[in-house]
Amino acid sequence: MTGRIFSIEEFSTYDGPGIRMTVFLKGCPLRCTWCHNPEGQSHAVELVRSPNGCLGCGACLKMGELETGTTCLVRASVAVCPRKLVRLCGEDLTPEELVERIEKNLDILNMSGGGVTFSGGEPLAQAEFVEACMRLLRGKTNRALQTSGYCRPDVFSRVLRECDFVLYDLKLIDDAMHRRYTGVSNGQILENYRTLAASGVPFITRIPLIPGVNDTEENTRAMAALMQACGVDHLEVLPYNKMAGGKYLMLGRKYEPGFDGSVEPTVREEIFSEYGIEVRVL
Amino acid sequence: MTENVKKSLAALCSAEYKKQRIDNGEFDMTEALRGVPKRLRRLPMLEAMLDAEVPHFLEADVFGFHRYNKKTPSYVDVNGKRIRSNGGNVTPNYARVIGKGFDAVLEEIDAKLARFADDEDRVEFLETMKKYVAAVYRISDRYRLAAEEAGNTRLAEALKRVPRKAATTYYEACLFFKIITYTLRCASYYHMTIGRFDQYMYPYYQSDRAKGVSREELLEITELFFISLNVDGDLYIGMQQGDNGQSMVLGGYDKHGNSMYNELSFVCMDAAEELSLIDPKINLRVNKTTPDEIYEYGTRLTKQGLGFPQYCNDDIAVPYLQSIGYDEDEAWNYTVAACWEYIIPDCAFDVPNRATMNFPLAVNNAIHAALPTATDFSEVLQAARDEIAKECDRLRAEWSPLHNPGSLNRNYGYLSIFTDGCIEKGLDLSMGGAKYYNYGCHGAGIATAADALEAVRTVVFEEKSVTAAELLAALDADFVGYETLQNRLLSCPKMGNNVDTVDALAGELMGAFDVSLNRKPNDKFGGVWRAGTGSALEYIQSAKKCPATADGRHAGEAYGCSFSPAITTRLNGPLSVIRSFTKFDLKRISNGGPLTLEVHDTVFRNAEGEKKVAQLVKAFVMLGGHQLQINSINRDRLLDAQEHPENYPNLIVRVWGWSGYFCELDKVYQDHVIQRTEFTV
Repeated sequence: MTGRIFSIEEFSTYDGPGIRMTVFLKGCPLRCTWCHNPEGQSHAVELVRSPNGCLGCGACLKMGELETGTTCLVRASVAVCPRKLVRLCGEDLTPEELVERIEKNLDILNMSGGGVTFSGGEPLAQAEFVEACMRLLRGKTNRALQTSGYCRPDVFSRVLRECDFVLYDLKLIDDAMHRRYTGVSNGQILENYRTLAASGVPFITRIPLIPGVNDTEENTRAMAALMQACGVDHLEVLPYNKMAGGKYLMLGRKYEPGFDGSVEPTVREEIFSEYGIEVRVL
Repeated sequence: MTENVKKSLAALCSAEYKKQRIDNGEFDMTEALRGVPKRLRRLPMLEAMLDAEVPHFLEADVFGFHRYNKKTPSYVDVNGKRIRSNGGNVTPNYARVIGKGFDAVLEEIDAKLARFADDEDRVEFLETMKKYVAAVYRISDRYRLAAEEAGNTRLAEALKRVPRKAATTYYEACLFFKIITYTLRCASYYHMTIGRFDQYMYPYYQSDRAKGVSREELLEITELFFISLNVDGDLYIGMQQGDNGQSMVLGGYDKHGNSMYNELSFVCMDAAEELSLIDPKINLRVNKTTPDEIYEYGTRLTKQGLGFPQYCNDDIAVPYLQSIGYDEDEAWNYTVAACWEYIIPDCAFDVPNRATMNFPLAVNNAIHAALPTATDFSEVLQAARDEIAKECDRLRAEWSPLHNPGSLNRNYGYLSIFTDGCIEKGLDLSMGGAKYYNYGCHGAGIATAADALEAVRTVVFEEKSVTAAELLAALDADFVGYETLQNRLLSCPKMGNNVDTVDALAGELMGAFDVSLNRKPNDKFGGVWRAGTGSALEYIQSAKKCPATADGRHAGEAYGCSFSPAITTRLNGPLSVIRSFTKFDLKRISNGGPLTLEVHDTVFRNAEGEKKVAQLVKAFVMLGGHQLQINSINRDRLLDAQEHPENYPNLIVRVWGWSGYFCELDKVYQDHVIQRTEFTV
């Protein structure tokens, strides 16, 4: 059994307590229009080209030249760039191979009260792999899961058993809106949230706040009500990342978020306060 | 910040006072010094400088003693070379003179004059020292009068005591320090480092506190003092703006393991945090027992983007210094030179940056020599060790006073008053009056050199995918026509990503350097050589001399700065970097030379992020790292600052060992800092 990752960050600061290594799993069932990790969306291995330091020599594109004269990046492009700017995004590892990389740094992670976080993409899209990795790390370090919660409830419960900590995203409560902006229904997401809240596993609720999309009074109220019903009294708000568009270029894609990125999102702390919820803006 | 501090800071930042400075051209004294023997030239130069100085104060300035003449005197020697600088990069013994006053120093000199009455040379030296003191009295008297006239009563009152008599308060001690550092700078000494300010100033601080002076009042004096260190820093000789050697060392431990952090240490850190100026550059001495709070305190300073503190690990520095031959107590009292070299204060006249080992060039030479006939990689590795040994011998010969007779010229210098042993022995620094005269050698491009060896091992000997001839042809062609091969080389394991094979090769190189250089004699008054991992500006300059290397680097391309991964290395992250760079026993190679970690400034957005950065520094120390500088970086800001420097007058970055204003750096250094950020975490 292997899992596909697109990155391992050795020093993430927003993915749980202490110094954390974050494993980014490739592939996500959602297509949030504001996504700032576009390379995590597709499960397929993709070609990425960094623009910084590019000499414009065109060697990479020539590798994919067709008779018609059109050019594009292909796997062979990776080996010819003199500046090593073209690379494959997406690496397959067995759980043992991944855990070996994490174990190299356990002493530093544990010294700081940190651990490892499984994120992505959507880690639960590779639930079996993630569960296997977490099991191998049981008792060795703090294991966290960062997830959209979009997952079959029985699968979610199983993975939850291996989690020491969860970072759970809530985006939109109205199902139609959720489908419009993320591409999927939120039924399972909300059900899994309730399961998480009742499980006793420490967790933090996170809202990526997108202007005009989920910072409305209506959505804020609905989220607050849900949280209150689940006995949750605090949450973290992630203001929309204005540099989200950056990585799309590297994938040869266009960034089209479908909302006005220049507007500041509205936090509405008063509404959360009404429901007894403390807000922390990251 | 008090009102006085605010006013003083505003006056400093407005820089209006700089317009009044005297532009004295080269301040040429060639004619005036004609016929004066070399050993007696320094005195008239300082006298002329101090006479030409104009006492002046900024607003709310209770220190004064700022350089007014743009340049110090110089003369053209018989070879047509302009001579100005007097050497430096040491920590003078300020405390001894502050604690007794110059009158007592004169008495001491008189006693020695009586003792050495029959020794012409010693008498001449001692008389010269007395004349230096007389010149210092003249300028301080002029400052006292100017202070009285300007209604600067606090300063005028204090100048009735210092510098003739010992300081009795913290303010007087700081003022005395300022007078000393000012006059040393006027005497053209460069990089007069501040040393363990929180230790030697602590008695005065404590005594004031016992008398009822509040921490706030003493913080105010400290802040005014720090501001005054920035007033004329731009006039000091250095490689770039900001490279002026005003490094201060705080904290540390004694031989019993007791922490030496005291209230003054934290007052200094508070002052540095509040003021956000490039001087003084703070160094924190830490070890395995240092509590998290110290690292968190330091991280708050890092967050300011000042490029300091730099962390110095006592667990590594002290044993190394003892292995070189310094006494145990002296080693425990170590300070930092202008950038990062570990030096002994008060009694040493080391030159810790005498030479540089160009590792990538040495390895490249070895590869060219050995590869054509080598049947096993071990032969190439041995050739590298031999080349390093050969280069060490060559550097030692190049810099030996036996081949540089001028380096032992007698030259009665003002700094001798502040170096223990000189007056006692009646010998100038240039005559062997100090206790130590060691030389330090930098080690530039260690990562690049290790990467090159690893690439050769991998493609030629392990995979056998490239022949020796092909590789050498590619290097000689600077990869033109060999782009795919260059890509392959760039894909080999790199130092900084926690790969044991390449890290072990770096260890081999450092081991060879240790064995070939440490403790070898330098022919200067019994001094020895010290090997380090720093690069100063050689990561640019030495790199220019180095042709294309087997790690995939182009001819002339810069190395990483000091002890860091190559700048083209795609890094896994700071944990891997720390591991790669702490595998070798750094107690064998600690002349100085920090690992530099670049952290994106968004990490510091909240207290949690700060805590994590602090943990990173702690991890480095726990794993046996010797020295660390950590930069808060925002690549976009740097790029913008290059385009619009007028918008970023106060943007500070850490260059190779000191902080400078980004917009004042030459473009080549700006570009290097920016390139370093491409793989920022």
